[in-house]
Amino acid sequence: MPLDETPRLPGPAARPYQGETYYGRPALKPSPFGWKTSGYIFLAGLSGSAQIIGTAADLAGRPGSEGLVRNARHVAMAAPTLGALLLIGDLHTPSRFYNMLRIFRRTSPMSIGSWILAGFGTFSALTLGAQWLGLPRVARAAQVPAAVAGAGMSVYTAALLSATSTPLWASSPQTLAVRFGSSAMACAAATLSLGERVDGRPENTRTLDQVALAASAVDLAASLASEREYHAGGVAGPVDDTVWAPVQKVGAIALGAAVPVVCHALNTGRRRPSAALSVLGSLAVLAGGMALRSAILHAGNRSAGRPADYFRLARPAERAALPRETVR
Amino acid sequence: MGVPARALDYAEPILQGPIPDESELTAGVTIEPGKSYGFFTDTTLCIGCKACEVACKEWNALPADDVRLTGTSYDNTGRLSANTWRHVAFVEKIASDGHRATEMPPFQSHWLMMSDVCKHCHNAPCLEACPTGAIFRTEFDTVVVQQDICNGCGYCVPSCPFGVVDLNTDDGKAHKCTLCYDRLKGGLEPACAKSCPTDSIRFGEVPDLVELAHERVADLHRRGAKDAYLYGAPGSPGATGGLGHLNAFFLLTDRPEVYGLPTAPTRASNRVEPALTAGLATMAGLALAAVALFAADRR
Repeated sequence: MPLDETPRLPGPAARPYQGETYYGRPALKPSPFGWKTSGYIFLAGLSGSAQIIGTAADLAGRPGSEGLVRNARHVAMAAPTLGALLLIGDLHTPSRFYNMLRIFRRTSPMSIGSWILAGFGTFSALTLGAQWLGLPRVARAAQVPAAVAGAGMSVYTAALLSATSTPLWASSPQTLAVRFGSSAMACAAATLSLGERVDGRPENTRTLDQVALAASAVDLAASLASEREYHAGGVAGPVDDTVWAPVQKVGAIALGAAVPVVCHALNTGRRRPSAALSVLGSLAVLAGGMALRSAILHAGNRSAGRPADYFRLARPAERAALPRETVR
Repeated sequence: MGVPARALDYAEPILQGPIPDESELTAGVTIEPGKSYGFFTDTTLCIGCKACEVACKEWNALPADDVRLTGTSYDNTGRLSANTWRHVAFVEKIASDGHRATEMPPFQSHWLMMSDVCKHCHNAPCLEACPTGAIFRTEFDTVVVQQDICNGCGYCVPSCPFGVVDLNTDDGKAHKCTLCYDRLKGGLEPACAKSCPTDSIRFGEVPDLVELAHERVADLHRRGAKDAYLYGAPGSPGATGGLGHLNAFFLLTDRPEVYGLPTAPTRASNRVEPALTAGLATMAGLALAAVALFAADRR
């Protein structure tokens, strides 16, 4: 990571880093986040992106998409309800959950996200409530701010992980956000596609699968880019040689991105899309989406316990910082 | 060292209460709100007695962490934690051939000892990460977790670039060094600095400490300890990546990593904007693609 203001390093600090640590002890504390957080990240993306797709379908106004829009508005309520419970359950003093809205702090994605969730929840509930009450105009108006907040829901969690000192998360803020966002969009499209099939409207799955194809293609590219970034930053250990390596490489990348790209691409070329390929692609997206969040979260916690990974990442750009004469 | 004239007022052994502005007597520092206070920890003076650890635990009523032997050094404390706010690191220097070195450079010889503590960063990532405002900057320019507001979300824990802040799973709150906020309010020098028998830990106003530290480095260089340098003072390693200077800074004689410190830590909030921008751009692109696909399907 380039550091513009890095001072010229004095003697001992200027020597190239050889992997020294303090008896191999962690130099950082891992986050206390576990399955509840990764579950929330998944639900936040699913709900946020479902609201976006529902809004897009509603605004396009094709006859026969009413059921799809209705499903999307229901899926959008997963994060404000179940997701919020997961978040509160993850607090170590849950009775003070309301302190999350005590201030707004733009340097804290946790604070930004709390307000995004509050806004998303409010407008999504309004949208769904208006639909239940038979007020389509109110629903149509409320869904737009909900969809905008939904974009935030899909990606702020990546900013939340990146804006820490955990080496794996800190090494690739942009690609992580692109992965989380594209995976969220693919997961929402996959969920709604499966819903259309269950509800007996398979003709609607074609467009949804194309949305999933576009999103999975972006996900695949960003995933491969992030693997390169991890190696370049010297922080790839947890996603290369721990139990989270197969979850990341097989689960998140191969199953979650590559398989749906292949399935949906094959279907795009066909005059009569194969239901099996569509369902397989959708299920792969959802399984991969969960694998992605779990792998990133847990591999990140592992990386915080690897001091050499952190020290490699927390080195100034060698060219800029090395003094001309090194002491000793 | 001269004894301040005021000290003679307290020659009687029995005290009726706290001595007003006691830090003037113990550290030569007058504590006033609005000024910036910190620690200068000079590792070349540390003898590894752990008086700072004990004084900290005693004053702040912190319980023991897991009591066991690490087996690798005299450091059985291991790390800073929710209940340990000073930690003395012991580094045994082994020569490059794996044997004990027979030639010793001036100061510290086979041992490096460093009393680690919260750095009270100028731009503190824990404070910037805290979504409740529980972590705040005090009138003494120190960083403190307000226990009556913290809801134990734990986001400050991975945000700290030095692995200092920690959650106590018993009370569900984040804890770290307060730079003895309560003592500063009462005009007392922080417990660790007051207890340090070699003045390895110096408490004072940050600008004064920085000046003192630069003088100490120059003196050590003159006396042959050419490796001495500052960590965390303005313009030195540790004070990097947007963190600004560290109010608690150090004099080290080996590379920072040997003490468990990063050479160029960064401010975690640097990464908020890049991540949000890239993510929202992706979402905008995919949302437009979805709109286009639905619109195309309509025909």
